[in-house]
Amino acid sequence: MTEEPKLGVILEDLFIRCRGLDAPLADRLQAFADGLRRLRPDFGAAVDAMVSRLAASNAGSAAPKVGEPMPGFLLPDETGRVIHLDDLLRDGPVAIAFNRGHWCPYCRINIDALARAEEEIAAERRHIAAVVPDRRRFAMWLKSEAKAPFPVLTDIDNGYAMSLGLAIFVGEEMKRTMVRSGWDPSVSQGTDDWLLPVPATFVVGTDGVIQARFVDPDYRLRMAIEDMLAALRSAK
Amino acid sequence: MEMHQIRYFLAVGETLNLTKAAERCNVAQPSLTRAIKALEAELGGELLRRERSLSHLTELGQRMLPMLRQCYEAAASAKTVAASISTGDIAPLTVAVSRAVALSPFAPMLRELSRALPGLQLKLRRGSSDEAVESLKAGSVEIAIAGPLAGAWSRLDAFPLFEEPFDLVVSETHRLAAHDTIGFKELASETLLVNTGCEMAEQLSARLAANGILDDAAHQAATQEDLLTLVKANVGVAVIPAGVEMSGLRRIKLRELNLARVVSAYVVAGRRRSVACATLLNMLRSADWSYVAAPEHERSVG
Repeated sequence: MTEEPKLGVILEDLFIRCRGLDAPLADRLQAFADGLRRLRPDFGAAVDAMVSRLAASNAGSAAPKVGEPMPGFLLPDETGRVIHLDDLLRDGPVAIAFNRGHWCPYCRINIDALARAEEEIAAERRHIAAVVPDRRRFAMWLKSEAKAPFPVLTDIDNGYAMSLGLAIFVGEEMKRTMVRSGWDPSVSQGTDDWLLPVPATFVVGTDGVIQARFVDPDYRLRMAIEDMLAALRSAK
Repeated sequence: MEMHQIRYFLAVGETLNLTKAAERCNVAQPSLTRAIKALEAELGGELLRRERSLSHLTELGQRMLPMLRQCYEAAASAKTVAASISTGDIAPLTVAVSRAVALSPFAPMLRELSRALPGLQLKLRRGSSDEAVESLKAGSVEIAIAGPLAGAWSRLDAFPLFEEPFDLVVSETHRLAAHDTIGFKELASETLLVNTGCEMAEQLSARLAANGILDDAAHQAATQEDLLTLVKANVGVAVIPAGVEMSGLRRIKLRELNLARVVSAYVVAGRRRSVACATLLNMLRSADWSYVAAPEHERSVG
């Protein structure tokens, strides 16, 4: 009996096509979700079940809100340098984007879009930083793939995400579906707890106060790049 | 998940009694029950089975307990970091590094830690692994780096960093110096030197003795440094972990040995971590150790 190719491998072509679409981020993410559902309706259904479970329990809703201070952090970047939230804010307002990991196609599309946004806005002294639970070499991989000019920070054990109420458990069913499909975050996280952050973006002004926030337990949805850029531009 | 939900669940896991757990967390029992129900809804399964005054953990509850504890401790550390940043109050950090482990791979991290935390006083201790465990217990050391700790205390959390295979080392003028790989039989006439300070000394000696290349009269050194000095002077040859830095020596693979040690970071479970300890632990665990020797399961990734 020949082993059927892992879903992750089959989806690589779909990923490359969706990443390259000349369309807003939301459309690129949607194109990937639609393609996945066509190829593997069961996977789409498992994702829907997880997302509705998380949405029903308001996962991520306790995260800091607009007008509140963004809690400080000290997280190592992909080179091992320890980055302070204040270090980032010294250069201007910053968008902090929580992503699930280097293995997640939606995060890879998102990081690609964020990389182009950073190129557009860096001259205006506005920046982006990504946070993932992946260890350094995987953070480096994510950064290199997108040629992202911003740091990709490692949040070991989702500790910072958890302190913001952003950590979720993948769930037993989704965990089995992911392993079968060749996605195993425990390798890149270095821990077998199957916790992931709810993807979220916080636009933080130089005073440390949150100017805009996007939190959605449906990881197929991310903050629109135009919304993020507008919030970064209006932030002081 | 929210931190208070996990805190309540961890208290129930320890007390197995909702009333006692609520007291310990300083909340009313209905609030505790509500929070745990919300956590169960988010996790997608029941964590507790209630029987009169006692509560038992379900299978899911038992599986989630250590994971949630680890994540909770990381989150509590993140809170400490946020608080220390705003007050600028940085407590000194005492780190123990086992004498059997080379310090050099950790030096760049200690430099980066002191750059990131101005005002941090770093206290580095070297000693045996037994001493490291004792000082962790006593609280005089907050984090230790060592090989496998024999009979380790159950409250120690071990975070494996990297695995190092053991290789043979000989001086550059030794008759075997030109080889890359040799078998045990070529060591039959050699004098072996043993580092008694290595956590795996017994295991290594037993393996070598079983193959007839080590007897009770082998020379002993108590530190890696002394061991290498003796090898360099051709007093004998030795078997050491791959991560150990050396100059003027040749490293040779021992075909049949197949022995490695795992170097881990150790902290005491449930003890509040200082900002420096939390940050160092994150640096150690996020680092790319593949240049030392990658564990097998990671070699194909990225």
